[in-house]
Amino acid sequence: MELFRKKLKTRIVLFCAVLLLFVAILLYNQFGANDAVKDSLAFSFQCGFSAAGSLALVFWLMKYRGALKDEAKLRLLYNEEKDERMSAIRAKAGIPMVVILSMMLVLGGMIIGYFNETVFVLLIGVALFQLLVSLGVKMYYKQRI
Amino acid sequence: MNTKIKELRKERKISQEQLALAVGTTRQTITSIEVGKYTASLALAYKIARYFGLSIEEVFDFSEIDTEIEL
Repeated sequence: MELFRKKLKTRIVLFCAVLLLFVAILLYNQFGANDAVKDSLAFSFQCGFSAAGSLALVFWLMKYRGALKDEAKLRLLYNEEKDERMSAIRAKAGIPMVVILSMMLVLGGMIIGYFNETVFVLLIGVALFQLLVSLGVKMYYKQRI
Repeated sequence: MNTKIKELRKERKISQEQLALAVGTTRQTITSIEVGKYTASLALAYKIARYFGLSIEEVFDFSEIDTEIEL
């Protein structure tokens, strides 16, 4: 359990770093970006993605901090993460590789979006499609096994 | 695979949550094993059997697998 506790602490540090990055992006978008950039689709997506990502990260940070303070919650979280049935379902749904690849596509899309809107839409669309298929497979196997 | 987990739990008045917590899994996994949707790994089957103080064969029904063995 001590190893898992250390793992959670590492995750909290990483999540805080990403949260700070998202907040920095949001602040730059709000006060630093020029009007020409603000008109682009990529800009709107970046704002939405950063805001949603920040909220999700805050949720996970609260969950992890709560687990670190309460032994029973920590045990439950450990069991959830190490559960063999869920590991099998995740493997069938291609998690974590699909999520990693989708995030890479989103990141690439957000950068390329400032130069080419068509490529941006294509990359985000592919990422979304991958995630939806993975989610569908996960839901299917959660019912099946 | 059929199991006697549900009967053993009822006998000893143990909830799925309690069993799950004791053997390091989730309530959903215990439900799936009980209804035969999911076959537990050897390690989990061993933990469940040990929890009840029985052998794996006494908790899990291997009759279907027995028919697959060519002796």
